[in-house]
Amino acid sequence: MNKTVLAAIIVVIAMLGFTYVAVGGAGGMGGENDWVNKLAVLGAVVLVIVTAFVVTKYVRQMQFDRASGKLADENWDGIGEYKNELPFGWAVIFLGMTIWAIWYFLVGYPVNAYSQIGEYNEEVAAHDAKFEAQYANMDDATLKEMGGSIFIVQCAPCHGLQADGMDGKAANLNHRIAEASIKHVIQNGSNNQLLGMEMPMPDRNGLMNANTGALITDAEIDSVAKYVAGGMKGTAGADVFAGVCAACHGPDGKGMDMVAPNIAEFNPTLVANVLKHGKKGVIGQMPAFNNLTEVQVKALGAYVTGLSK
Amino acid sequence: MFHWLEKHPFFFAVAVFVTIAFAGLIEILPNFAEASRPVIGTKPYSTLELAGRHVYIKNSCNACHSQLVRPFKSETDRYGHYSLSGEYAYDRPFLWGSKRTGPDLMRVGNYRTTDWHENHMKDPAAVVPGSIMPAYPWLFKNTADIDTAYAEMVTVNKVFKTPYNEELPMADGSKATVKMAATLDEAHTDALEEAKVIAADMKDQDVKDAVAAGQIPEIVALIAYLNSLK
Repeated sequence: MNKTVLAAIIVVIAMLGFTYVAVGGAGGMGGENDWVNKLAVLGAVVLVIVTAFVVTKYVRQMQFDRASGKLADENWDGIGEYKNELPFGWAVIFLGMTIWAIWYFLVGYPVNAYSQIGEYNEEVAAHDAKFEAQYANMDDATLKEMGGSIFIVQCAPCHGLQADGMDGKAANLNHRIAEASIKHVIQNGSNNQLLGMEMPMPDRNGLMNANTGALITDAEIDSVAKYVAGGMKGTAGADVFAGVCAACHGPDGKGMDMVAPNIAEFNPTLVANVLKHGKKGVIGQMPAFNNLTEVQVKALGAYVTGLSK
Repeated sequence: MFHWLEKHPFFFAVAVFVTIAFAGLIEILPNFAEASRPVIGTKPYSTLELAGRHVYIKNSCNACHSQLVRPFKSETDRYGHYSLSGEYAYDRPFLWGSKRTGPDLMRVGNYRTTDWHENHMKDPAAVVPGSIMPAYPWLFKNTADIDTAYAEMVTVNKVFKTPYNEELPMADGSKATVKMAATLDEAHTDALEEAKVIAADMKDQDVKDAVAAGQIPEIVALIAYLNSLK
């Protein structure tokens, strides 16, 4: 018997023995009914035997085979090359690849070219379509829930998780309007496009009190600011409001279309306009948030409106 | 010739290199040149913004903050439009960063304001609960280095032809010009004018006083830079 074959047989026996010790002995086969384990072990055994014999075959070929045929004229440091025919399968594959290369160059790549941005656009379009379908008709609770999660990402860094403006660092959204803001607006006027268009409110030099027939005074500003900031309850400041503010903002402060915004409470339109145009007031500047979708703006509107109720 | 090359491995290697390099140039260069042209609406940094950029680099902001919005929906939802290579045309060096311990800052000028940055640099956790960013109180005391900013401005203008004092097209169809001062003194004056606009929106009295007295604290320059990131 040839020495290589003998070595292969010894290796196979050794490996089978090792396999038996490792998984076969002491009930390691996983019991009578564990077919998966038995199949795995059977597979391992087959692999070992096949590997051993394939390796043996090639080792023997290297040992004993002698190549034959006509040598090519070319010779590199004594290493020659046979003039053999190209195997038929290779020839077919070569021709096939040539045809494929022409197709790929002219059609395959130009027509199906991949781009990251293209994939991004597809991904966004697919997501938007799914989003629209899923949230086409939201009930109020879902809308608010969505608004809340958008708020945490987009708004909380300035307005705070509790929407309280974090000690005056931003507007407190739990109340429609703060005393300082009212005073600032009366003193300086305002043009924040809260109605979605340019609609300037005059400063104090343009605010006439219809009750007294004179410009608004410092004392009146103080009392009306307290009145509006306090939710327009009580009587103090109510007369000033009726005389100065009600003409545009309405007797209940709920504003009028195309004239003046609601200063009694938040509403989704107001929120949407602030998000679209940003806002500048006594605290500072709020930038516009134009990257939100319509549904998200609606959701934020519902959420912010709900905060102060 | 090919037989000759096959017998001379060194020259064969050189020929392979030249062939592949040539193909690479033909494929890469035109696209690269096109993509790195400034996007419409991108303008070079002003003196104060450059000084702020130096503060940004000096404090290693780019170790925790990237300036690169990738084209993924989750990113563009949060940070805005994905970055284009032409937007970095005037960044020398670019500050893409390699890691986001904090959020991306590529377009922070769109959604944060001067007073927010002021609060945040003083005490990050006060505006972002749970933030692990450290406070940067020294920015309110140190003075920004306008000399270096102006030197950089003159250098990039001379060497890279960065278009200062030239009309540049903006996205909305208007034109904008970024001024490069003729002298260092003028650069200081210009930077101070810019600083006054920023300081007007700030609350810190020391900073306001410093700007009124002709000093520019680093925080003002940094905020000018951050506001310019759009």
